Amino acid sequence: MKLNNIRPDDNISELLKTDLNKGFRLLVEKYSQKLYWHIRRLVILHEDADDALQNTFINVWKSIGNFRSESSLYTWLYSIATNEALALINKRKRNAAVSIDDLGSYFASSREGSTWFDGDAAQLKLQNAILQLPEKQRIVFNLKYFDEMTYEEMSKVLKTSEGALKASYHHAVKKIEKIIVSD
Amino acid sequence: MMKKLNNIPDQNPFKVPDNYFEDVNRKIISVTSGSDHEVRKISIYNRFRTSILIAASVAGLILISYSAIKLLTPVNKNSQVSDVLHEMSPDSIINEIDISSIEEDASSLVLSDEGPDVSKKDIIDYLLLNNIEINDIYEQL
Repeated sequence: MKLNNIRPDDNISELLKTDLNKGFRLLVEKYSQKLYWHIRRLVILHEDADDALQNTFINVWKSIGNFRSESSLYTWLYSIATNEALALINKRKRNAAVSIDDLGSYFASSREGSTWFDGDAAQLKLQNAILQLPEKQRIVFNLKYFDEMTYEEMSKVLKTSEGALKASYHHAVKKIEKIIVSD
Repeated sequence: MMKKLNNIPDQNPFKVPDNYFEDVNRKIISVTSGSDHEVRKISIYNRFRTSILIAASVAGLILISYSAIKLLTPVNKNSQVSDVLHEMSPDSIINEIDISSIEEDASSLVLSDEGPDVSKKDIIDYLLLNNIEINDIYEQL
C-alpha cells in the first residue's frame, strides 16, 4: 500500500483538537503499521522495532501539544519514529550485545531468523546491501524505495535539503548495485 | 539503476507475530490513556513564552542598571557636594554661620575674669623660648 493512499490527515488533525483521545486512537490505528515497518527496516529485529514503535507513540502522545496543525502529521510522525529507531541503534552499538552486520548469518543462527524473516535469497541480498550503507543513506533509501516518500516530504522528516537527499539516494543506489553485483 | 533492484521482488521479507498490530495498538492506547500528556503544560509555556522572555530581559536590564548605579553612586555623591561648594562663595559660607552666636561664645571666654592664672614673666619666658624678638614682646606688653 502506498503512503499516498492513506493521506490526508485533516480529519485526525481536527479530531486531535476536539477529541484528543479519539484522535490519538485513530492516529495509532492508521500509522502503527507504516511506522513499524519503517523502524523495523532500520533496526532489523522485531523486539527492537516493537520497543521503538511504542516509544514513538508515547512521545507522540506526550508532545502532541507541540504539533502544529499547519505542518504535516505524517512527516512529523515519521520524524519521531526515525529518531526513536536511531536512538535504539546507537544504544545497541554502545552495548554491543547484538551485532547485525550480516543478516544471512544472523538469521541463520538465531530464532528470530526462522520465525520472523521469510525473504528469499534476493531479498536477503538487498537487505544485506542496505545494511552496509551509512546510516543517513539507509534512511533515505528506505524512505524512497519502500515508503515511496517524496523528497519534499523526506526533507521535512530529516530536516535536510532536497538536493542533499537526492544525492544521498543516488549514492545509496550506486553502492547497493555494486554490492549486489559483486556478491 | 532501478533495473537491477527491480529484479528483487518488492515484498516485505520481515515477519511479525500473529495479531501483533492489534495487540500493540491496544497496548499503546492503554499506556497513553492512563498517562497525562504535556499539552496543557507545553501550550501554557508556549503561550507565555514571549512574555516570560521579555519579563526576564527587563528584569535583567533593571538589575544591571541598578548595579551600575549602585557602583557609581559614591562618585556622584562627592561630585554633588563639591558642586555645591563651588557654587558657594566664601562670603556666602560666612553668611551661613550665625556670627552673633559665635561672638557670644567667644566673649564669654575672652572677657571672662576667670582666665588662666598666667604672669607676664611666664609669657615672656614662653615667647623667648619660641625665639621671638624681646623688644617686640615689651612693646606688646
